[in-house]
Amino acid sequence: MLSDLAKIFITEEALQKRIKELAGQINRDYKGGELVMICVLRGAIMFYADLLRNIDMKVVTAYIAVSSYAGTESSGAIRLQYDLDEDIRGKDVLIVEDIIDSGGTIKYLLNSLMLRKPNSVKTCCLLDKPARRKTDYTPDYTGFVIEDEFVVGYGLDYNEKYRNLNVVGVLKKEIYA
Amino acid sequence: MDYEIGNDIEKVLIDAPAIKVRLAELGKQIAADYTGKELLMVGILRGAAVFYADLARLIPLPLHMNFMAVSSYGQGSESSGAVRIYYDLNEDIKGRDVLIVEDIVDTGLTLKYLSETLSARKPASLKTCCLLDKPARRKVDFTPDYIGFTVPDEFIIGYGIDYAEMYRNLPYIGVLKRTVYEK
Repeated sequence: MLSDLAKIFITEEALQKRIKELAGQINRDYKGGELVMICVLRGAIMFYADLLRNIDMKVVTAYIAVSSYAGTESSGAIRLQYDLDEDIRGKDVLIVEDIIDSGGTIKYLLNSLMLRKPNSVKTCCLLDKPARRKTDYTPDYTGFVIEDEFVVGYGLDYNEKYRNLNVVGVLKKEIYA
Repeated sequence: MDYEIGNDIEKVLIDAPAIKVRLAELGKQIAADYTGKELLMVGILRGAAVFYADLARLIPLPLHMNFMAVSSYGQGSESSGAVRIYYDLNEDIKGRDVLIVEDIVDTGLTLKYLSETLSARKPASLKTCCLLDKPARRKVDFTPDYIGFTVPDEFIIGYGIDYAEMYRNLPYIGVLKRTVYEK
């Protein structure tokens, strides 16, 4: 699988180092509190697992699955495939996402969760691709700001492959072109 | 890391380095068994999430990754056996090689139920991989195909496994103090 990469964009060491920094920041910001950490399936699973084990407070884990409607990539229409199992009213909530590009998904999720009257909702994103933004949005915690390249690995797929790579890489053009 | 919730832990049963070593062995074994195949790994939420993420990256095959969320009815130390699927697979598994990844098998009821449910969808093959096996609690005959560790009948938490939704973020597998769940 590694041979399908044009280059390794973020190494395993760099990922883990940055995740520890993010967790430290989250630990400080929510010190003494209790956090509902929401993993956005499926892309965020690797990031989520690594972030979670570095969080030093009472954490309730929760999962949500979203998908864009087929063929409407740019319209921003999102379908909630799997909703939260629990009530977040009055809770401090952190949404954990793999990547923010257009910003549509995270904004949709944020709006949808805000309606349930949590105490607070913040977002934590491994990768931020601001060049692709279609709506004004900045995550509260960002792992890496990246250029507009075709990235895979560490949860991110191309045609359901490469999610289990332990690095973030740029896919060779001949693979997807 | 100095966990405050670590105060609720009686002892560390399996530390993070030992987990890593065993997962590397499991990853190798699974990769050897599925070489040349397109394996679909199904993680069972919420308990298996951490194990799943760590195992997946140790399998050097083009994995397909997907999830189901199930829950036993009731909360606490005794599982009743009845299983509710909160979130079902969002893809067809007919003719595919499927591996169910679960955190712990105790009574065996959950995994047996899931295996039978998924078998009915006619995959090419279906196997199960469990981080922890607690054979002392078995109520039905069930043996996972891949087992991380066989553990004694103690109150286990951490590395994805909870008590009342707590302790999942501990990076090791520990035994909960009796005073925590008996108060």
